[in-house]
Amino acid sequence: MKVYVSRVGGVAGIRLTWQVRVDDQPDADSWWRLLEDLPWQSAPSGPVQPDRFCYEIKAEPHEAVIAENELDGPWRELVDRVQRADTDSR
Amino acid sequence: MPCQILPPYLLEKIAACERPEMAHAATAARRSLVHDAPLRRLGDRSLATDQPSPVPRIADPAMPVESGPAPTVDRTVSDAEGSENLPGKIVRTEGGPVTADSAVTEAYDGLGDTWRLYWEAYGRNSVDGRGLPLDATVHYGQDYDNAFWNGRRMVFGDGDGQLFNRFTISPSVVGHELTHGVTQYTANLVYQGQSGALNESVSDVFGALVEQFARGQRANEASWLIGEGLFTAQVHGVALRSMKAPGTAYDDPVLGKDPQPADMAGFVTTDSDAGGVHLNSGIPNHAFYLAASTLGGYAWEAAGQIWYDTLTGGLAATSDFAAFAQATARAAEARFGGSSAEHAAVLGAWKTVGVLPG
Repeated sequence: MKVYVSRVGGVAGIRLTWQVRVDDQPDADSWWRLLEDLPWQSAPSGPVQPDRFCYEIKAEPHEAVIAENELDGPWRELVDRVQRADTDSR
Repeated sequence: MPCQILPPYLLEKIAACERPEMAHAATAARRSLVHDAPLRRLGDRSLATDQPSPVPRIADPAMPVESGPAPTVDRTVSDAEGSENLPGKIVRTEGGPVTADSAVTEAYDGLGDTWRLYWEAYGRNSVDGRGLPLDATVHYGQDYDNAFWNGRRMVFGDGDGQLFNRFTISPSVVGHELTHGVTQYTANLVYQGQSGALNESVSDVFGALVEQFARGQRANEASWLIGEGLFTAQVHGVALRSMKAPGTAYDDPVLGKDPQPADMAGFVTTDSDAGGVHLNSGIPNHAFYLAASTLGGYAWEAAGQIWYDTLTGGLAATSDFAAFAQATARAAEARFGGSSAEHAAVLGAWKTVGVLPG
């Protein structure tokens, strides 16, 4: 099971992607809980504002696209964790 | 439009003056010549009865109509100190002393450079045309890789230090972001698909012009880069975008290759990034570069004036590339005439990038 986070937009307009293999994480259980508790069916869906980031999040079978200014709570936690875990492993 | 006091021949002499201490006067004189060109042309035409009726000047509500003290910029820079709380602590107000923080200095100077382009070249007093104070926050967030206009103020991150430097480093980025504010108050181009790519391109055009105006560069002397200096030394690239050669700004193992197209043959269809607004902006960007380069001289004068007239002249918020191209051609005709070099350069540029049929 892999989680992908792509950050698109921003003034740079450059796509950067971070990914994590959940089962390889030392705290895999907490990753699974976070992923299962996310409200995938009711993710925020407001439009992106000029030059703000937009996050494309994928954890099969789920996908969500969330504007930066609406990235809160567990969504923000997931994005932060994926970025941190992938950066640490580089 | 302020009354014309200096005769055109004298304005031309001042405009041509290249002594550094005369730079401001030269710029003001060039602006006056550009602004008055249609009026003088109308004067010529009125002598010839067989000429078609002159096209009226485009009405611009941002143009000053009353005399009074000249407007000045009103800047306030705040420091979020690594938080995401706005506005943060005020660290420099208008006329205040330089601080030791280069992000504060760069933001303050970038706001000033942008205000001066809009006022001195186009007679527009700030983002809203009515003297809106220019507020900015620096040191926003942690490793934050972005700068944006949030509808009311400028926000700058410090970058992550691996890929991106601090976002105040590039005057073209400051000009780009504040121009999102100008667009918000004028054509308000919808941030999706082609109108979104035009919104982006207008920000790149005036962002580049902010830099060229501040440096006194002619079209053939300018870099035409957006965000020069923003990448760290570890990145293989010179800037975020190139208006002169879209698709060539960077080619890096982590970031990939600059994906911008330069013409309609390379138009990208995608759902991502509001329909590729930062990709397809390469096409109108290159059209502006072509028009400005064909005309030569200072790009903020004829070419910039035509784009400014287009943005502020009743452009529909949902305009696509073709509608925008036709609007620039009408603006060129209104200001410079239908058989002018300016009108021809604008039409030629849009044909070259494949937006108007060749």
